Amino acid sequence: MQSESARASSAVEARFRINAPNSRPRAIKIIALDRPSEAVVKRLAQQSAWSNATFLTALAGAPTPGERFSVTGWLGDLAGHTKDLLNEISGADQVVMIATAGEPLEAVSIIGEACSLKRVMTTALILSPASASDEALSRSLAQLRPWSLMLVVASAEDYISDMLVALRA
Amino acid sequence: MLRKEQNDLLTQTGPGTPGGRLFRSYWIPALLASELPENDCPPARVKLLSERLIAFRDTQGRLGLMDEFCAHRGVSLWFGRNEDSGLRCPYHGWKYDHTGQCVEVPSEPDESGFCKKIKLKSYPLVERGGVLWTYMGPPDKQPELPEWEFATVPAEQSFMTKRIQESNWLQAMEGGIDSSHVSFLHRGDLNSDPLFKGAKANQYNLRDSRPVFEVVESAGGLYIGARRDAENGNYYWRITQWVMPAFTMIAPRGNHPIHGHFWIPIDDHNCWTWSFDYHSMRALTQAEVDAMRDGKGIHVKYVPGTFRPLANKDNDYLIDRVGQKAGKTFSGVEGIAMQDASLQESMGPIVDRTKENLVSTDNGIIMARHRLVRAVKALMDKDAPPPGVEAAHQRVRSAAVVLPPDRPFVEAAKDALIVQAGVAHASV
Repeated sequence: MQSESARASSAVEARFRINAPNSRPRAIKIIALDRPSEAVVKRLAQQSAWSNATFLTALAGAPTPGERFSVTGWLGDLAGHTKDLLNEISGADQVVMIATAGEPLEAVSIIGEACSLKRVMTTALILSPASASDEALSRSLAQLRPWSLMLVVASAEDYISDMLVALRA
Repeated sequence: MLRKEQNDLLTQTGPGTPGGRLFRSYWIPALLASELPENDCPPARVKLLSERLIAFRDTQGRLGLMDEFCAHRGVSLWFGRNEDSGLRCPYHGWKYDHTGQCVEVPSEPDESGFCKKIKLKSYPLVERGGVLWTYMGPPDKQPELPEWEFATVPAEQSFMTKRIQESNWLQAMEGGIDSSHVSFLHRGDLNSDPLFKGAKANQYNLRDSRPVFEVVESAGGLYIGARRDAENGNYYWRITQWVMPAFTMIAPRGNHPIHGHFWIPIDDHNCWTWSFDYHSMRALTQAEVDAMRDGKGIHVKYVPGTFRPLANKDNDYLIDRVGQKAGKTFSGVEGIAMQDASLQESMGPIVDRTKENLVSTDNGIIMARHRLVRAVKALMDKDAPPPGVEAAHQRVRSAAVVLPPDRPFVEAAKDALIVQAGVAHASV
């Protein structure tokens, strides 16, 4: 007689797997941390009919020098409207931060703190073209590592799209 | 989640498929050299990339790998007589040389030249590091011979086994780059398995079951770094190498031999899991070899006379529910290799990746799929050779290192991640 494992793992039995959704949509916030990444995020936003992704930028909402510090700003949507950082993070299941090797990343610690406070999983993705120096990459890593529970160094931006599809964004 | 068409692209590796063409760009392990131990020994059947083949070592020591079936009436040449520099079909005496060329058809007059018109499809077969390697792609694209370090060190420094895994190659290979499962599935084995225990690295592992991962593209595939806190604000890194399409090398522990795998499609529902252990500086000890033969580390015990693991789906992997409850093993299955294989086979022959819910720690898997899809498309559209073909991509090492907190591990451990003759693996 066939064992339970042999029968259950056959191709024939695969036909009887329940064909119903096994997860609810996750809210994923994709945040550009620097100017080149903002362009990447804008292209991404137009690429596909994302159902669970919100594309944001840390630049549009960053306070101008001399302005009183507040955690309510720091984020903007792609149209340039300021968004409340804590509100955005509160509603997220996952935050994906996009950075470019060597670019200044002023907002990362504020966003990272907010994610830590709200217990939201963070992934950082550094776009590091072949022309980027090790020193530039080191600077970015030093800033991102304390705030990233997963870090990816990718050579091309098409990876981000594949990653978001894989995460059901 | 992976779209169905992408899943099909990567999991289907038979003749004429894009995924099959990818595998046919590389030298792949076909048989253990010990399967053809001497000249004129019995031939061995082998199925690779959905093709049934027969391998033999002729009277002069030449290796042949060709269509398993006689061109006359379709008899399996596994029954063949390996004699006088050729393999002879026992049915009507047709004989083939190591290139698959028919050299005798006894029923036809020699003068007719009929046998010259008969040739079985064949592939080159070379011996290197105790493994017989084949290249199944177009002859004009045949790359340099494989340069994996385990296959180039002296024989006494290296040990290789293979086993049948009853699942598609991709879900097996993905287990090899899924570093986050180790802290759960294999947690009981780090301190007890003779090929793992005793390393200082194990303390870092067991102290911190939630490492932070970094995935970085390499020329041939990926570096997958798992980072844990070490002393004085430094990080302890375990860096796994994945080289396309199906090679992984696990980060070392102490002075133990280094382990790694190839996952080679037999057909779309089965694959060969090749498991190697080697040390770059010294011969393996008798105790280490005995442990490997006894199925410890990443090796298995076998059903006698076969490459099928003794614990397999037909005996429910000898699952021990009492041991599982008592914490002896996490899944109830004994041994690192079968802990992985049992779960990967339970997914079914080809897992339906449209139903997955990947999380960010799966970025190694996501990136590997991304690179595989990109390589298949470049191969199909532009005839571009995929990463991993070049010998330089194969001369790599995994590493376990303690590094300052602000350095990219790829740069800080640059020398440790490539083969350096006369230099030991970087290990903790």
